Amino acid sequence: MFFKLAFRNIIAARKRSSVTLFLTSITTALLVFSSAWMDGSHFTMIQNAVEIYPGYIQITEKDFRANPSYDHLIFDASFIETKLAGNDAIANYAARFESFVLFSADEKAVGGMLAGIEPVREKHLSRLFSSLQEGEYLDGDDTNQLYIGSELAKRLQLEVGDEVAFIGNGADYSFAADNLIVKGVFQTGLFDFDASSAFVYKGYFDKIMAAENRATHFIVLPKKPGQAEQLAAAIAADLGGQYQSASWNQTMAALVKAMKLDSFFGYITLGIIFIVIFFVIMIYTLLAVFSRIHEIGILRAIGTTPQQILTQLVLESSMLAFISVVIGGLLGGILAYYFSIYPIVFSGMEEQFKQYGLAASEMPTAFMPLTILRDMTVMFVLSVLSTLYPIFMVNRFKPIEAIHHV
Amino acid sequence: MFFGYTKSHVQAELFCIAFLLTFVFPLSAFAETAVEIINKVQSNLNGKTAVMNLSMVVKGKRATRTMKMKSYSCGDDKSFIQILYPGKDRGITFLKIDNSMWQYVPRIEKIIKIPASMMLQSWMGSDFTNDDLVKTNSLTDDYTKQLLAEIDQEYQVELLPTEEAAVVWGRIVMGVSKQFYLPTTVLYYDEDDTLIRKMIYTDVQPFGEKYYPTKWLMLPQEPEKIGKETMVEISNAVFDEDISESYFTKRALKRYSN
Repeated sequence: MFFKLAFRNIIAARKRSSVTLFLTSITTALLVFSSAWMDGSHFTMIQNAVEIYPGYIQITEKDFRANPSYDHLIFDASFIETKLAGNDAIANYAARFESFVLFSADEKAVGGMLAGIEPVREKHLSRLFSSLQEGEYLDGDDTNQLYIGSELAKRLQLEVGDEVAFIGNGADYSFAADNLIVKGVFQTGLFDFDASSAFVYKGYFDKIMAAENRATHFIVLPKKPGQAEQLAAAIAADLGGQYQSASWNQTMAALVKAMKLDSFFGYITLGIIFIVIFFVIMIYTLLAVFSRIHEIGILRAIGTTPQQILTQLVLESSMLAFISVVIGGLLGGILAYYFSIYPIVFSGMEEQFKQYGLAASEMPTAFMPLTILRDMTVMFVLSVLSTLYPIFMVNRFKPIEAIHHV
Repeated sequence: MFFGYTKSHVQAELFCIAFLLTFVFPLSAFAETAVEIINKVQSNLNGKTAVMNLSMVVKGKRATRTMKMKSYSCGDDKSFIQILYPGKDRGITFLKIDNSMWQYVPRIEKIIKIPASMMLQSWMGSDFTNDDLVKTNSLTDDYTKQLLAEIDQEYQVELLPTEEAAVVWGRIVMGVSKQFYLPTTVLYYDEDDTLIRKMIYTDVQPFGEKYYPTKWLMLPQEPEKIGKETMVEISNAVFDEDISESYFTKRALKRYSN
């Protein structure tokens, strides 16, 4: 009976109901879309940062991350290789050896990273291959062929086919130097990375740097990137205490923290908007309920109890809130879904994005049904709560006062 | 009253003079001594010219490497180093003129100027940095000196960088032998006053009229580097004899490579 009455009242007061419905729906849609936008941009930033080079999981010697020196190398790379090859949850993996060297071309000398990589496997693990700008990517049988970052090439005034020398220390701290030929130039879009990195085939690197069967780290791509954390833990358990297996959450802790902080401030901004909306709905409900005092007085006079009136009014507001959040959730959800497939493109803002380590101008939203449901629930609870005070207020009137209320 | 001064003025002046004589002059005399000590040390270490044969043993956590080299120096602003051993590195040469350093590597047939950004990198995989080789005259120019203590055999001198000095150390404490005016220990602290490394000079030997420490032991003190060390041992040295200027030119890098 209450349900029927509540429904009738909503229909009867069309104008009042429409305004409440409109306010709550728009707010819900706004919340759903804002969350999807915020999460989406954070996912994009992290995914970009992870996939360009660092990878989802890194395996190092246990002290290497705290003290990245040649004293903490992986000295038995084939052991790690065997272990990783036997893990079904891994889509791909490869060894890398990074060293800091001095590049010299003509009169110019610039310090930078020279790393030995496995070119074929690396294609699936990072965006080095897809970032090719000029020339060719590395091959598995290359010798002194260099794949160099575009900014580093610019600093050394190098083009494809040019010669550049490097000097550095081998894995045994011995002196290492050779002449390299630029085979390809890459541009990931991350300025610092492009300005300081160059790669050669690890087989060649190992010979020249006395690094056979050694690596600074392994990089692992899980079959399910969302489960990188669990896989990193499983690999760590399999390898034993001599090695550390860290997911991107750890290797890129600073970025993850920055994203969390950004989300925190984002939610504070949304919170302030909701407080304002909460009071708008409350004041509107207060006005709407007060315009019904006469009607409530008559109901009380014919024997309706205050509890029955409370139930009746709360049911009305709950029904309205429910319909609103469903409409708002759908609207916000459709927008979130649409922009997750057709990302918003900020053309011309690449430079600003790069400052935040983001090598992209497309920003897809994150369409996550569970988050949408969470936001809808929050809005439902908020809008019902905002009507409680006016309902309690009006229920305190005595029947005779209520009937005479103008 | 005379020359317009009252008696109280004169008393005040006399007090100031007495104060200066008692406290300030001895301090400045102390400071001068510290400067003199360091100047003597620098002069004894570098001489007018020096030709030395030396070996460097780098002890890491996993392996020990030995290198042999010959060094030519003229004062504290020019030096030339030739690597003689191991065979793989034989022929690598270094030239230092003032604050610049060049390296020649026969394998790549190239002369490379070491850029400022690489100055703190390890020199030939040792615990010395390029900066150590370049900034040999830095103690005289870039630091203020103060005598910390004077014990039986030794002076303890503290060196603090001057405001405009572009140096890596926040403080250096040097023990100086009174007998030879040569360093015995040098402690290097960073800007947070954490001890970063310790250098010990031992086995002072006569070379002609000059005495020189023939063993230099560099001990890094950072927790992650404990256990590593670099020992430089001088087997032969000739001081203050003429050295051809041709060693201190960029052309020498290639010319004296073999």
